[in-house]
Amino acid sequence: MLRALDLENAGKYREAAQLFRTALRTSPTAGALLGLERAYAELGMSDSLLAPLDSLIARRPRDPLFRSVQLRTLQILRKEDLLRAAFERWAREMPRDPAPYREYARLLLQLGRSAAADSIVQRGRRSLGGTRDLEYETAQLRAAQGQWLPSAEAWRRALADAPHLAGAAAYALAPTPAAARDSIRLIFVASPADLGSRSALAELELAWGRPSEAWEALRVLPPDTVAARVWTEFGERALAEERYAVARDALAAALRAHRTPALALSAARAALRAGSPADVFTLAPLTDADADPSRLARDYVPLHVEALAALGRAEQAEALVDRYDRHLAPGQRMRLARTLATAWVRAGDLQRARAALRAAGEDADSSEAAGWLALYEGRLAAARALLRDARDPGPELALALGILARTRGDSAVELGGAFLTLARGDSTGAATWFLSAAERHPEAASAIVLAAARLRAAHGDAAGATTLWQRVVTQYADSPEAAESELEWARALRRRGDTAAAITHLEHLILSAPQSALLPQARRELELARGAVPSP
Amino acid sequence: MPSLLSLSRRVALVAVALLAVPALPAQRLLVPMDDGQTNHLKAYGLTYNAMKTGVQAEWLLNYRGGAFLLPDAPELRRRAALDGISTEPLNDAQLTAIRREMAAGNMESVPLEKAPRIAVYTPADAQPWDDAVTLALKYAGIEFTPIYDEQVEQGDLSKYDWLHLHHEDFTGQFNKFHLGYRDAPWFREMVAKNAAAAKRLGFASVPGLKKDVAERIRQFVERGGFLFAMCGATETLELAIAGHDVDIAGDFADGTPMDPDADGRLQWKRALAFKDAHLEHSPFVNSMSDIDGHQVNVPGRRQPLGTFTLFNFSAKFDPVPSMLVQNHRAVLNDFYGVTTSFTKATLKSGDIVLATEEGAPWVKYIHGDYGKGTWTYLGGHDPEDPQHAIGNPPTDLSLHKSSPGYRLILNNVLFPAAKKKPLKT
Repeated sequence: MLRALDLENAGKYREAAQLFRTALRTSPTAGALLGLERAYAELGMSDSLLAPLDSLIARRPRDPLFRSVQLRTLQILRKEDLLRAAFERWAREMPRDPAPYREYARLLLQLGRSAAADSIVQRGRRSLGGTRDLEYETAQLRAAQGQWLPSAEAWRRALADAPHLAGAAAYALAPTPAAARDSIRLIFVASPADLGSRSALAELELAWGRPSEAWEALRVLPPDTVAARVWTEFGERALAEERYAVARDALAAALRAHRTPALALSAARAALRAGSPADVFTLAPLTDADADPSRLARDYVPLHVEALAALGRAEQAEALVDRYDRHLAPGQRMRLARTLATAWVRAGDLQRARAALRAAGEDADSSEAAGWLALYEGRLAAARALLRDARDPGPELALALGILARTRGDSAVELGGAFLTLARGDSTGAATWFLSAAERHPEAASAIVLAAARLRAAHGDAAGATTLWQRVVTQYADSPEAAESELEWARALRRRGDTAAAITHLEHLILSAPQSALLPQARRELELARGAVPSP
Repeated sequence: MPSLLSLSRRVALVAVALLAVPALPAQRLLVPMDDGQTNHLKAYGLTYNAMKTGVQAEWLLNYRGGAFLLPDAPELRRRAALDGISTEPLNDAQLTAIRREMAAGNMESVPLEKAPRIAVYTPADAQPWDDAVTLALKYAGIEFTPIYDEQVEQGDLSKYDWLHLHHEDFTGQFNKFHLGYRDAPWFREMVAKNAAAAKRLGFASVPGLKKDVAERIRQFVERGGFLFAMCGATETLELAIAGHDVDIAGDFADGTPMDPDADGRLQWKRALAFKDAHLEHSPFVNSMSDIDGHQVNVPGRRQPLGTFTLFNFSAKFDPVPSMLVQNHRAVLNDFYGVTTSFTKATLKSGDIVLATEEGAPWVKYIHGDYGKGTWTYLGGHDPEDPQHAIGNPPTDLSLHKSSPGYRLILNNVLFPAAKKKPLKT
């Protein structure tokens, strides 16, 4: 057999088939038969399998594998009459066995003959006294017929004994129209909350674009090691897809059921990304790795320092770095110095932020972090020089570079104050600072006012933002920011229900800025405002 | 021999002189409909709305994908710019060159004179499926009036030039959706509303009402109306007209079973497009008849989707079918509907086949005259959602601005605007 498999892997199917045939004669194993089936299929000689199958079935008529391969081969050869006859023979010889109905129905479904498959399943139901053994086929069959609710009901029953079919269930039911989805949900959430049905529902919710509901489907599983595995897989997938809050909840639940250091670190990372830094201390406490200071310094300290920085607890972050300083690698120390600087910025102490960078060496003081500090202090020349080559792209950097490029002069206290206030998490205060800075820097006023407008909009202050967009459009009509401001103004008008005014502004934008990169968005908005396309 | 300096000075002078000449005002705007067009669907709206303001347009059949020619008016330029429609200004010399090119090839100019008054037969409330024509008209910015049974029964069809039908089941059997959706709230509501309307309008059952509506539509075409139908409305309208005097609805729809001899009692000479079709008698089979070639809702009968090809008619001798197939693509992907296609065996001999699938026993797009009017049928539900299912969200046409399938629908909107020219043969 090993030699036959080697030959098959080498593409020598004829020689492999010979050895598989010999093996089959001496000991008719599943491996030998399936190997022969594969080799003959590659050679286009599937018909040569029929004679050996006949004798194998005669020798061991109860073996379902031989019968299944026989049906499959006859289907490949398109010998429909013989296929039907083989099924009938099998069903007649094994009257209490669901396998013939199951295998034949599956083949018919694969051929798209769902009506014929249906009749076989119904016949099986009559012969066997129920459909319990044919739930999977029934489920597939109903889905193929677009009968979503009967399909979901059959899947639910099939999944009770075969949770590994959850993926297949989700694949079959994913095309369910939106109107029928709530009924599908009711079928899968009905008690008891078993692994198969809940996994299938979670997959379906993901396919239907509702990740939070997907987690809700899984959350209610009894907290055992099996559930922990499912939750971990789900959480890791959510983490990779940047659905951080869902990832945090799933990984934290898995951690409660089955604690491992790797899982604790994953959960803590997800919590940080989800914007709940305080959770880091409970999900991955330092006591988890007390016995191994190097590991603690490598895996746990950075997470804790980042969490403390996010919470503005710079003192504690610095103390933590100091405590494990001798276990830190040089590159890691540099990264932590930047995090510490951010922590001090959040705490409003720029001097200690700079000190934190200096402590990590010259490189740190000429870094992107140093550039941000310069900007916060209003030292524009230094900020321009240091941020120019920044490697950590993000919306804040794009905003800073955009404004720095437009401002003249080397110092700007108001602008620095605006960015510092923003870094400290006070967007309302930052907007006020930006507006003061706009008065001081008429050369970049449109960009600075637009920045303030964005902050107000993000804070939910639609009226305040609209005033500023209006100001850019009317006061700085020729500026590059006028198009974006008018688009946002129009969007705000449309949201408020004033479609006529929104249309006026959108038409003005399209006609006055025909080269703007925002034109496709403006046209899209115009179509929505006119009701020319369905609302998303 | 002029010196280098003097030559360059002369070139500079010529350049200045050229810059000083004011640009000649263009007299026409060409709206190309080939791949140079950035928004084919809205171009139809531009032309239609120009006609509504009294402007005369021209449809340049087979020239650059079926281009439109409009006067160069500021308002038209403005609207084209707003909608992202490509236009090209033409002066007299350029226009003459185009006309010369058209005269030499299979091309023809058709004047478009009057914007047709459009009615779309659709219920007032939203249905759990989209309607391709309503979507196309809304996206293109073409005004239409929704009408339904009440208005048809009041005789309102005479107010319109163009009538569109889409997904309606004129046999009154609700597309046999009771098979899969009898407990769905939208289905129950639809049945209840139709039953109430039938009672209010004096009919014993929904099939009775729908048959009468179908008859009024037949009369609308006979008297000179333009009918465009898609999806299930094509097949069921014909069945309802041919089955005017026979019970063709199952007992689930009107309380009495279908007449067992219904097939033999259908009067196909009354029908617009089809003949000799056979009804599906089983209430448990989601099909109406053998008119539809694809039978999408009948497992085991469903045929796979292929592609269909538009015929290339002589623009000079067959301007009407030419208008209906103007497109920047000749081969289009097929799309399902409750009626996807029309079996060749059921077509009347006078039908004009506009598009067909090569080698298949069905055709996709047909047209014909009936009385003083015309009818055009396009199989399938939504050209950009080949397997549109109940409950699916409607297609967003801003994502399909150049859809060749949707162009076929909009060709039908403009074609009634064409001024009839005397035939050249």
